[in-house]
Amino acid sequence: MVSDRIFGAVVAVVALAYIASANQIQTSFLADPVGPKMFPMMIGAGAFIAGIFVILRPDGDPDWPVLSTIGALLIAVVVLVAYAYALKPFGFILPTAVASAILSYQIFPKIGQAVLVGAGLSIGLFMLFKFALGLGLVAFPSALFG
Amino acid sequence: MDLLSNLATGFGIALSPYTLMLAVFGCFIGTIIGALPGLGPSNGVAILIPLTFSLGLDATSALVLMTAVYYGAMYGGRISSILLNIPGDEPALMTTLDGYPMAKAGRAGDALIISGFASFTGAFLSTVGLMLLAPLLARIAFQFGPAEYFALYILAFATLGGIASNNQAKAAIASCIGLGIAMIGVDNNSGMPRLTFGNMHLFDGIDFLVAIVGLFAITEVFSFIESHGKNTSIGITLDKLKVPWRDIWNTRWVQLRGSLVGFIAGILPGAGASLGSFLAYMSEKSIAGEKGGFGTGVAKGVAAPEAGNNAAAGGALVPMLTLGVPGSGTTAVLLALLMTLNITPGPTLFTDRPEVVWGLIASLLIANFVLLAMNVPMVKVFVRVLSVPAWVLLPGVTMISFVGIYSLSGSYFDLLLMVAFGVLGWVLRKLDVPTVPIILGILLGGHMEDSLRRAMVLSDGDWTYLFSSKIAIGLWAVAIAGFVAPLFLRKFLKKPQAVSD
Amino acid sequence: MTEFRLKALIAGAIIGLSSSAAMSAECIAPANPGGGWDFTCRQIGKIMHDIGAVDSPIQVTNMAGAGGGLAFTHVVTERNTDADLIVAASSATTTRLAQNAYAGMTADQVRFVGAIGADPGVIVVAANSKYQSLNDLIEDVRANPGQVAFAGGSAVGGFDHIKPLMILQRSGISDVRAIKYIGVDGGADAITQTVGGFTQAMTGDMSEIVGFLKSGDVRALAVLTDERVPGFESIPTAVEQGVDVVAVNWRGLYVPKGVSDDVFNQWAERLQAVADSAEWKEAMAANGLAPFTKVGSNFQNYIDGVVSDIRKLSKEIGVIQ
Repeated sequence: MVSDRIFGAVVAVVALAYIASANQIQTSFLADPVGPKMFPMMIGAGAFIAGIFVILRPDGDPDWPVLSTIGALLIAVVVLVAYAYALKPFGFILPTAVASAILSYQIFPKIGQAVLVGAGLSIGLFMLFKFALGLGLVAFPSALFG
Repeated sequence: MDLLSNLATGFGIALSPYTLMLAVFGCFIGTIIGALPGLGPSNGVAILIPLTFSLGLDATSALVLMTAVYYGAMYGGRISSILLNIPGDEPALMTTLDGYPMAKAGRAGDALIISGFASFTGAFLSTVGLMLLAPLLARIAFQFGPAEYFALYILAFATLGGIASNNQAKAAIASCIGLGIAMIGVDNNSGMPRLTFGNMHLFDGIDFLVAIVGLFAITEVFSFIESHGKNTSIGITLDKLKVPWRDIWNTRWVQLRGSLVGFIAGILPGAGASLGSFLAYMSEKSIAGEKGGFGTGVAKGVAAPEAGNNAAAGGALVPMLTLGVPGSGTTAVLLALLMTLNITPGPTLFTDRPEVVWGLIASLLIANFVLLAMNVPMVKVFVRVLSVPAWVLLPGVTMISFVGIYSLSGSYFDLLLMVAFGVLGWVLRKLDVPTVPIILGILLGGHMEDSLRRAMVLSDGDWTYLFSSKIAIGLWAVAIAGFVAPLFLRKFLKKPQAVSD
Repeated sequence: MTEFRLKALIAGAIIGLSSSAAMSAECIAPANPGGGWDFTCRQIGKIMHDIGAVDSPIQVTNMAGAGGGLAFTHVVTERNTDADLIVAASSATTTRLAQNAYAGMTADQVRFVGAIGADPGVIVVAANSKYQSLNDLIEDVRANPGQVAFAGGSAVGGFDHIKPLMILQRSGISDVRAIKYIGVDGGADAITQTVGGFTQAMTGDMSEIVGFLKSGDVRALAVLTDERVPGFESIPTAVEQGVDVVAVNWRGLYVPKGVSDDVFNQWAERLQAVADSAEWKEAMAANGLAPFTKVGSNFQNYIDGVVSDIRKLSKEIGVIQ
């Protein structure tokens, strides 16, 4: 109940913000009866109505995970974001080994296995993409896809 | 008789032990590429080009190899949908809805074989349709102007009401999220950037593949970390692998109808394979009704979308070959390939270059039969994926997704977006909001707006133009009578029951 | 011959995919594989190698984004002195530069090497259309501006849109903003809409209409070149119908601004060599391109002229402020 009401409220607020930013869209001089604003605003309005509807008729609450699990998820997000940034400057193998080892550890907390998974996946996938599929991956630091 | 001799010419060009070997190879590579999240037919073809070179292939062999990869990728998309709830590419989206529940119930092998059969039916029938009627069918595209396309998209969204069985408002929110995302980027009609906040990366909009891989693959990883592997398909003891003849026979009408719906959607350049699988699934769902159990893991639920999307893939070849209009992203790749072979598709292709057309058709048929023959042995290999421990499999899927998305544009920005979609997908999954409408919104939102605005340009803003042709009225009628009205009627019918509770 | 071409093209592709070719030059196609820019890079790169103008094959990189804006920005900000870099360009590049669609970048931030072929602009109608000549169409627009809608493969304000607007403006129709135009996904789609009767005329490039001309679905009212195009002598030019409009979609290259004159001249020579090769002539014929060679330092003047023309026109019709 509460979760859905919050969700509905968030949707409604975001929808209003969306309508507001759609209203800022520049229109060109050229005649176009609908214009670039109307369709986004219609979408915003639709989302707003649906959001209100969810506030009024919410479903039951889901089982939200405990705090420690949420912490683990946040770590996973941080790892993935860092991985995204690291891929270009550090090449494929090192970031992949680190990121997949951490994820593996998060799923099944055994350090030895995680290290093995990291090493195996980074080298194995590199082989797969580079040699079997011919994608232009770069193993170690330098630009990717020349 | 003409047809037979043409076909004979085609096979004469395309069939030899050597090309057959190439077809097997192409189907295998294609299936694997299709199954990897983020990598689709376009990557498959890109990978094949250097290969054709190093093998020193002539034009015909190249054609056979590339159609094999193309169809292989179309078949392969379903594999990760069923096994891991991660669509390999966008037409395989709908297959997750029933395929994954089947895998969770230990029926992954059945689901793969049934969907493989349905893929064959769809692809085969649409190739036959292409063969018999292509020049005639091409004329259908001339009947579809902006108003007709707009009505078609309305129909697609009207069917969404049935996707979330309990709360339609949530399906509506999900479609709005997708449509809202589709608006980002340079506006086609005014050339002005919209909702990009000055970010160059957003000028071309957000690629639907980023959204699919984020909402499915990355979300799956988060769910897994949360649940530590409870209630997933991984590690489930599988039933012994047998060909489920009964299910295949029982879904025969579903496969035929799905093929027809998909083929028609494929012929329309503005619709494409994803819409084909979507409409096939939704129409079967409404035919089966509540008792059909769609969404809980039923054979019909994997047969319909796979017949639909493979038929659409064949149907999309009709406007591509006869008009030079690629109906979907994947046919655009094939079009580019034909042009590299110095073949320019267009209205005269069938008469000017019959050997190309019939060679292509023969290649399609060859690829199709090869895939069917390879299907059962390959399924045995693929279901083993589920016995890989989760702590290896999920990091692996994540890394494959990253590489797949990275290969799209080579920018970290798409990767960040993908992670953001992953987080969004996890929250929405918790709240029981369906994510399929988001993808549909992203795929169709731009087209839908464009067709509305084109219609209004042509009619000087007269809204009745949207209902000005028989086709448009027909589509509106199906949308309202078939999908929107029942939604409200159901409520009316249910209310008395609620009181008696 | 076909086989040979296939192999050679594929040779271009394999090099594009591998990043190991350390010493070779690079050609950036600012769009996805399959489009005009991609064609330019692959053909020119391949022919340069075939005729020995460069030692190692040219590597093709696709950098799609913002209608070429992403590649343009990349070249200006990150590769400004790279002597081994060429970038595919066309009329779309200059149109967007003129309309300031590359986030403030201007044409003089790179050096345009030259153009070696052009896709002539055309105006076509459905075979059953009542318009027999360009003037029939113009007169009808003059009488009922709202009744005639054009379809084209570029967005509103793009090159395909500007073509009919130039024609109508030169014919003395002042309020060109009243002219209806819908931008669809490519020339073939625009033809479909026109043959279907949803729009009255299609504006596009010669290469887009060749098949439909042959099948008899459409009739070309005018080609926008100085003289009739070889192979399509039956199509009159706009000029000979009294409308002085020439609009071709040229295919060419630019290089970074920071390279030395020697490097620039070297690329110009190589490009000229491609233009003179038999292989290029064959590629042009196969793809509906007309000869259009402007290579070297004069080309920058041509570009400046085109940019200022389009900017002026775009202001007049209100595409830009």
